[in-house]
Parts: sequence; C-alpha cells; structure tokens
Amino acid sequence: MRMLRNLLRSPAGAIGLAMMAITAAATVLTPLLSPYDPFALDFANAMQPPSALHWFGTDNFGRDIFTRVLAGAVYDLRLALVCVFGPMAIGVLVGLAAGYSGGRIDALLMRLTDIVWAFPFYVLVLAIVGVLGPSETNLYIAFFIVNWIGYARIVRGETLLISRLEFIEAARVLRFGRLRVMLRHILPNAVTPALVYSMSDVVLTVQAVAAMSFFGLGVQPPAPEWGLLIVESIDFMREAPWMTIFPGLAIVWIGIAFALLGEGLSTALKPKG
Amino acid sequence: MIPRLNMKALLLASALAMTGLAAPADTLRVAMGFDPLSLDPIASSDNGSIWTQLLIFDTLIRPDRTGEGLEPGLAESWTVSEDGLTLTFKLREAKFSDGTPVTAEDVKFSIERAASEASGWGRFYRPITGFEIVSDHEIVMTLAEPFTPAFNNLALFAAAILPKAQVEAKGDAFFDAPVGSGPFMLKSWTRGSRIELAKNPHYWQEGKPHVDEAVLEVVTEPSARVIKLEAGEVDIALDPPLNQLKELDAKDGITVGQTIPYRADFVQLNTKRKPFDDERVRQALNLAIDKDALVQGVLYGAGKPAASAMPVMAYADPNLALYAYDPDRAKELLAEAGYADGFEAELLVDSGAATSRNAAIALQAMLQQVGVTVKVQMLEGGTQWETTKSGSYDMSVSYTTSDTIDPDQIIGFVAVNPERANAYHTEWHSDRLNELYAEERKTLNGPERGAMFQEMVQILHDEAPYIFLYHPASAWAAKDDVQGFEVLPTSNFRLEEVSLAD
Repeated sequence: MRMLRNLLRSPAGAIGLAMMAITAAATVLTPLLSPYDPFALDFANAMQPPSALHWFGTDNFGRDIFTRVLAGAVYDLRLALVCVFGPMAIGVLVGLAAGYSGGRIDALLMRLTDIVWAFPFYVLVLAIVGVLGPSETNLYIAFFIVNWIGYARIVRGETLLISRLEFIEAARVLRFGRLRVMLRHILPNAVTPALVYSMSDVVLTVQAVAAMSFFGLGVQPPAPEWGLLIVESIDFMREAPWMTIFPGLAIVWIGIAFALLGEGLSTALKPKG
Repeated sequence: MIPRLNMKALLLASALAMTGLAAPADTLRVAMGFDPLSLDPIASSDNGSIWTQLLIFDTLIRPDRTGEGLEPGLAESWTVSEDGLTLTFKLREAKFSDGTPVTAEDVKFSIERAASEASGWGRFYRPITGFEIVSDHEIVMTLAEPFTPAFNNLALFAAAILPKAQVEAKGDAFFDAPVGSGPFMLKSWTRGSRIELAKNPHYWQEGKPHVDEAVLEVVTEPSARVIKLEAGEVDIALDPPLNQLKELDAKDGITVGQTIPYRADFVQLNTKRKPFDDERVRQALNLAIDKDALVQGVLYGAGKPAASAMPVMAYADPNLALYAYDPDRAKELLAEAGYADGFEAELLVDSGAATSRNAAIALQAMLQQVGVTVKVQMLEGGTQWETTKSGSYDMSVSYTTSDTIDPDQIIGFVAVNPERANAYHTEWHSDRLNELYAEERKTLNGPERGAMFQEMVQILHDEAPYIFLYHPASAWAAKDDVQGFEVLPTSNFRLEEVSLAD
C-alpha cells in the first residue's frame, strides 16, 4: 500500500498507472464499448475510413479495427506479462541461489546464463520457435528459455551485495535457516532492481511478441494480436493506412504506459536517505 | 538507393541532352514475383523458370494468343495422320542465337531428352516411340498406340528445341548460359535477382523483338513491384496487388490490364484423414463457402467463382453449376455424416501469397458459421508443398495453372490417382475417373473426347476432394508507352511483341 502511495506521488507513475487502468478497463468492457464482432466478415463495409460508426475504420474484411485492437490487447498483454514475469520468477530464484550459495553452484548457474547470454536474443527465440513450430504455447516456451537470464544476473549481483550487509550477518548469527535468510531477508531487498528492470522488459517484450507474429511465428490468425494486425495491413497501407496506424499506436501506448510505470516504480522503491 | 538511382538518371538525361545523341537502345524492364530456378526445360515446374525459358527457347508449335488453338513455332506446317499415330513436321529456316541452323536432328534430340528418365515431364513424351528424319527440315514422329495429348504436349515448354551439339558437349553447364532459337538470348543471370536478355539477331520472326534488351527483375513483394513501376524503375509490374488495380489504373501514365488465365484456386482436402474421407463432409464444406463474397472481398472482383479444381478451358462444361452458398444444407450434411457439432481442422497457407492468406482468413470465418473450427497455419511456400506431399495435413490453400491448352495436363494432376501427384496430394481416388482418363488419351479430339472430360470434371465436382474457390484474374500494370504486352491464358507472356513508344 505504501508502495502504491509512493508510486502515485511520482507523476510518471501516476500517469503510467492511469494508462494501464484505462487499457485494462477497455479490455474487460470491450463488448460494452463496441457493438461489433472482431471476427465476423462484412465485405460490404470493407476498408472504411475512421468515422463515428467505426472509430478506427474497418479492415479489408470489413471488421471493425477499434474492436479488433481492443480484443488484441488481451493477447498482447497476456503474452507480454507471462513472458516477462514467468521467466522473472525463474531468474530471481536462480540468481538468489547462485549469489547466496557461491562456490560451485554459483559457477555452474552463471556458466549456464553465459551460454544463453552468448546468443543474440532474437536469434535464439527465432530458432526455438522455428524448431517447435509457430504457436502461442511455443512462443511462451521460447521466452521462458531465453528471458530469465537478465533477472538471474541482476538478482545474483544484489544478493552478493546484500549478503555482506550487517543485518544478514546478524540473521546468520541468530542461526536462522538458510531458506529463511534467503527468502525473508535477502529476496525482498534484492528483487527491487529486478522489478524496475521488468517494466522496461515488458516494453521490449510487447514489441518482440508483435514482431514474432509479424514474421508469422507467433499467434496465428484470426487472433487480432497487434503484430498480426500490422502484417495483415501491409498490402493495404496505401489505400487504408488506418489498418496499420491504429494497431501500431496501440503498441506505442502500451510501451509508454509500462515505461512510465517503471519510471514511477524506480522512484517509489528508491531507498530513502 | 532510390535517390542515387534518380541522380544517375538525371545525369544521363542531361548528358544526352547536351550531346544530342540518338536514343539509347530500348530496354524493357519487367518486375516479376517469381525467381527462376533453372533454365533446363525438362527440370522445371515453377512459373519463373517456365516463363523465362519461353523467351529463350522455341517449341515446334505453341498455344496462340487466344489459348484456343495452336500456331506454328519452329514448325511452319504439320500433318497429323487420321489415326493420330503419325505426326509430320516441316521446320522453317530458323537459327539458334549463335547462328547455327535448327535441324530435324535437334528436334529429335530435344524430344527424346524430354522423354528421358532425367526429365520431370517424361510421361508426356514417352508415347512418341519413333523418329524419322526425312531431311534437315522434315521429321516424322510415330506413336505405337494412340495418345491424343502427344501433339499438344509438343507445345509445352518441356519440349523446347535445344541445339544438340552444344547440349551434348556442355552437359548441365549448357543451361547456365543456354542458346536457343527464341526471341531473346541470355545476357546475364544473377540468381534471385535479375535476368538480362538481349535480342536474338537470328530470330525467325522478321522485325521482332521490337526492343533491344529485356530485363526480368525478381521482386517478390507485390506492393514493391508497384512502387518500382511508379518510381520509373521498371516498365511493367506483373501481378500487382488486386486491391490496388483501380487506384493504379486511375494514375496518369499507367495502364492496368487483366485476363483470367487457365487457373483454378482451391483448398486441398486430405481424404485419407477423418472427417475428409466422407464425401458429405467435403460437399458440406463447399456449400459453406460464399464464393461470390470471396471474389468480391479477396479478389476485389478480379475473378470468377469456381465449380471445380479444373481451369475453365477446352471441353469445359458451360452447364457445370457452382456449389451454391447454403450453410443450412451444409449443417444438415455434416449432421448426417455424424458431425452435428462440427469439428476442428488445420488449414495450411503460403505465408508469402497475400491472396491465399486473405482467402484463408475468410474461409475460417465462413466455416465457423457451420461449426467447423479452422486453425490457420502459415508456412513458407516450399514447406507447405513438402507437407502436403508427405500427406501430413488436413486442408491446404493452393492452385494450379495450365501450361498447355489441352485439359489433359491438369486433370491428370488434380484428379487422377496415382498418375502425377495422387490427385494433387488429396489422395482421393475414383475408378471411373481413372478409366475415363485412360480412355480420353486414346480418343481423337472431338465431341467424344470432350464428353469424357466433362464427365471427369463432373465426378470431381460431385465428390469434391477440394473446396473449390475461384478463378482469379492475372493482372499487370504497365507504363503507357509499353505497347503490345499481355498475359496469355497459359499465364506466360511474349516480350517479342512488345514495343516502347517514345
């Protein structure tokens, strides 16, 4: 609660949170906001420019783009959040274990991250999805394999640092169990930078997810995922630019929202004094 | 890149203006979507290769511009005996581009090569069993038993006439720098990028080609071809996106043309798999598709709905009715077949083919209306082909084009099993159709043979191993000063007829 209050106190955090709230509300309330079916074909109304009836215009199948962009938010947010916070959980635990244990366990876990780190991000994701075949599930698998290392490295560094602080020494002297020290005393302190990092990671991941769909390796049609909306619009860009612009703006919107939220979080979580 | 090119053009233009030189050699530049893979006629089945070969090589006879008859090529006249077993050709005085004359010996060599084991089209020519060289300019071919398509097959690219001596001397290397008797000769070939052709100075058609050089530029993205045309980098853009035709035609200095070639688009159904093994299910799928809406919404009106997987060509039955759009009847049929609650299936589509991609999305929505949930799987074209060939698919959006004017080529491909491709990988089989196919090939051209084709197409229509979609138009956009260009019913084009007005 105190964190939330701090977050709202920073202008960036407040705006970011408001943008997220608007997005979430619009996603949940899509049926109330729009009378259209995001999947139904209506060739008679194909490629209509934005109007009072169709706020974002219609696509080449006569589907309302406003409705499709809203319906697409579910896909993009789900993908981005799962692909960030799933791997983050793994990375945090690995980093904690490595940093606190030190020695062989640390060496082993860190060499593992080095191996994954050695591959450029997109090359590895493309390779994994390429082998497994394009689908939403396989996209999750690819991101889980690749995306945890950043968190592992951050948390390991923090853990090493915190382990040497006096209150941890004190906890050890009091003969608290290893797990208790790790989870109750180190984790809450070590996770903060990871959390701040995760916000910018979400921005990158939204783009990465859209890019994968753009290449035909992510979510498959007719899902109105934003990257897919953009790739489907390419042939019509000259006569119906709204088909490309609005899904693109949606990605920008979400990117700004998370960036501001991250900014606010880092201010709110900064230790005082 | 573009500004630099413009700069060059500007410099060139000003240089010309200053020196007052005569106009430079006429070069016709064409942007096409296909990348030619090979210039060996017997090893090709892709459109890029076939179209290019037809500019470099000649055949004895060739389809005329209407696609309804055959006209003289290297043969200036011919006779076919009453029983169809003896074909006599008189060759014209023609030369290969290196100046050596085309002789009956070259003809015999080329057709035998096309019939060889190495040829992908061997079964088209093997029925020709005897060659008698009467003189340098006369050859008689004989068949052991009647095979009506034989004559027509000689008009196919695979029967291109090659210079025997050179092919024998160079082997496969010949096809990297081939010599033919066609209107153009190969100047340079950058694989995946461009083919430069120069006028064949020895070409037998007096005064043709009108242009001195022709360049085929490979531009796979349809919108990019149009942009190149508008930027003045090419003179002709083949297959512009159908949704842009109207807008393009309205532009100053650009003319759009279109024709419906011998082509049919459809969805292959894997009849080895449930529920596609049931004829009622396949018919239901056909009834669930609103073909007029597809023509409007996916082809933007540039095409016609299809009643079968056969292009509309010789012997086509004008009375063959379309599967009417009737989702209620479709649901009834599905219920009769035991799929009252519908089913789920995967639909493969070539991710690079914009029209097919859009068709897939429309099909998905239409089939959902009758309870069939379709999962669209976008694949690279080559992978799609391999996957359907191996039989591990449910449904796949594809098409066929005919390179000849005789329906024998395509019916053998889409409907006969096994023959060429197990009824185009649908694995569907009809004994009656196979019987008719064998019979048709022994029957001389005429109403009797026509009736056999009509019955075959009717069986294909009724048992529906495909969802029949449409016959799309083939379009092109050209600068106004391009004259005489058109896409032929056989989908290829003749550049020797084209001129550039100044």
